[in-house]
Amino acid sequence: MKNIFITLISITTLLLTSCSSDDDQPSEQGVDAPTTYKFERGGESTVAFNGQTIRLKMSGELKDAFLDFGSATEASLMAMYAHEKGNNDFNDSELNGSDVNLRSKTATSYDYFFINLVESAQIKADLEGYISSQINEVFPNRMVVASPGIAGQVADGAKTRYVSGRGLEYDQAFAKSLLGALMTDQMLNNYLSSSVLDEGSNRQNNDNGITEANKNYTTMEHKWDEAYGYLYGNSADPENPNLTIGADDKFLNEYVGAVNKDPDFSTIAEDIFDAFKLGRAAIIAKNYKVRDEQVAIIRNLVSKVIAVRGVYYLQAGKTQIADGNREGAFHALSEAYGFVYSLRFTRNENTAPLFTRAEVDVLLDKLINTPENGYWSVTPETLDEVSEAMAAKFDFTVAEAASK
Amino acid sequence: MKYLRSVFVPLIILFVMVGCSSDNDSPKDDQNDTFDRAAMLSNWADNIIIPAYTAFNLKVIDLKSKTTVFNQNPTVENLQNLRTAWEDAYVSFQHVSMFEIGKAEELRFRNRLNVYPTDVLEVESFIASGVYDFSLPSTIDDQGFPAIDYLINGLAESDLEIIEFYTTNSNAEGYRTYLQTLSNTIADLTDQVLSSWTNGYRDTFVANTSSSASGSVDKFTNAYIFYYEKALRAGKVGIPAGIFSNQPLPENVEGYYKKDISKKLLLEAIDATRNFFNGKHFGNNSTGPSFKTYLDYLNTIKNGENLSALIDSQFVVAENKANELNANFVLQIETDNSKMLGSYNELQRIVVLLKVDMVQALNIAITYVDADGD
Repeated sequence: MKNIFITLISITTLLLTSCSSDDDQPSEQGVDAPTTYKFERGGESTVAFNGQTIRLKMSGELKDAFLDFGSATEASLMAMYAHEKGNNDFNDSELNGSDVNLRSKTATSYDYFFINLVESAQIKADLEGYISSQINEVFPNRMVVASPGIAGQVADGAKTRYVSGRGLEYDQAFAKSLLGALMTDQMLNNYLSSSVLDEGSNRQNNDNGITEANKNYTTMEHKWDEAYGYLYGNSADPENPNLTIGADDKFLNEYVGAVNKDPDFSTIAEDIFDAFKLGRAAIIAKNYKVRDEQVAIIRNLVSKVIAVRGVYYLQAGKTQIADGNREGAFHALSEAYGFVYSLRFTRNENTAPLFTRAEVDVLLDKLINTPENGYWSVTPETLDEVSEAMAAKFDFTVAEAASK
Repeated sequence: MKYLRSVFVPLIILFVMVGCSSDNDSPKDDQNDTFDRAAMLSNWADNIIIPAYTAFNLKVIDLKSKTTVFNQNPTVENLQNLRTAWEDAYVSFQHVSMFEIGKAEELRFRNRLNVYPTDVLEVESFIASGVYDFSLPSTIDDQGFPAIDYLINGLAESDLEIIEFYTTNSNAEGYRTYLQTLSNTIADLTDQVLSSWTNGYRDTFVANTSSSASGSVDKFTNAYIFYYEKALRAGKVGIPAGIFSNQPLPENVEGYYKKDISKKLLLEAIDATRNFFNGKHFGNNSTGPSFKTYLDYLNTIKNGENLSALIDSQFVVAENKANELNANFVLQIETDNSKMLGSYNELQRIVVLLKVDMVQALNIAITYVDADGD
């Protein structure tokens, strides 16, 4: 009897231990993440990302200004993009007094563009090109009904969309491309890069608790927060950003929230936030192995958000075209355009870009250049082709991304 | 041991299978049920849609001619006659607003006749410049019944002051022309839609009895539910009551300038929608096949009750609740918005019954998506 009893206990213990998961037990690796993104030194917060908040606000105003038919000009939009301190480029005076701008951080990540200035310049030119095109092609045709080759208005339900001769909304192309070239690129390829986090004596200083002059954070902590700021910089409660995820800006925040609502990706907002939180705690704990594991997670998931959203919009557009509502599809397809453009700035866990510039250009070409007059004639087959090419590099299917 | 396994395992499988059997109330109908779709489509077209458009067409012809009379002689009496014709046409419109298919869909009919609130600043600038194009998507909030509302009820407090815009104002001709164009446009679009139905679309519509997403039944059901959800529930009640915003938006009520017809229009719309559901002929009390009969044919039960009866009684509840509101929704919102919210709740229940239960029973997919907030 005793033998059976001991056997039973042993089996039970074996069963219990073999069931324990070790993928979210940070304390086993020595780092405990706090419940919120709250980090202090000497009783005061060490978290700061003001530059990111300012840039998110600038981006929001600039995006809206694309449709300010009454007063926007090419010069005024360019000035919002390449703001100089003191100029009254924005409605918000805080932005006018700022010495940061959008252009100087467009496609300037260390990992992707430090030795790639030619492409960096091309990307800035692409974004400025949307500005010029909006003013020179669409503004003059504001009161014209759009048709193949002719810029103007199309109806999208009770909304009015303003499109190029190829059915592209330049404001959407700009906003979703900026999402990649500025927010994503800076986050994944710059501030989370080991070349930036561990630059110079950052690690040594972090090990020794040496903060920046006149600040209470180490440089490494600050770089991490700047990455954080490109997603949560406008959050209602930056310590608890998932309370309002999706509602805090029209860029990464909106789309992390949107993808999170899809049951196929229902933990993505939580997973991204947890990785940011744990990575930041790992920095304080001087556990760079855990820190770098979180970097890999963030890169993976933020890249996925961009790809999922791109596929989602391509498929939404495809459904509308199949339903006979081609003009109503232009909005979704224009958003898709920017998300496809932004693939250039995504990456898998640690090193390689998921899509080269050449690969992205091929996809964009299929959408907007090879069919006559772009979106006026793009076929559902092409939209499927591009969707599949995107999903192929990730672990989701087109169907999963397309559903709500 | 071996013999135990060969009994035990099958037993487990058996238990699992029994445990998993569905206990859905309504039988899942197969795609090719034998319901007579052609009869339903023909009841819709011949006994509801075309008669409703025909009646509406007469009203808008009258609206146009009363506008002409007013413009030729802008007196208070002619203004009041015009106002009556406008109101009658607006009420009649509630019976056709849901039919956004075919020519109506192509012309963006509902959006060209009833987008509110009117963009008053833009309307005034159009009147001043004399240059405007109502076929542009961006001008949907500068035309239609709401724009006429502004021009005959919103320009000033009293009728005497209103007619001054058409007589002594330095741009009186601009006002008259704009007003005429508004009425003419409504009449012209209505004529196009009615003609389309009576010159061929009716046959196309009725012949397309396919049970696929491109069949008339599917397409129309989508249009009907979209209308109910967005134009009726949200447009007439939800949006003004502040359901979709941080606070109520009283300036977004239907019939804002007339002030006392919001409830009338809402009740008419609920009535029209309910009648359609029941297959009631326009203009008389006969009924023919419609959603109600289709659901009954499929013996659709929800929570032990006949789904069609549930839907119809909820229409009645919603109508009664709406009847408790002040005729003037602006006043209702400002004095007691909770009543608007109560009305909204009852209207909302119908959305669920239609958009979830009914379409599931009829095996119809909702193909419209909530527009991207961006």
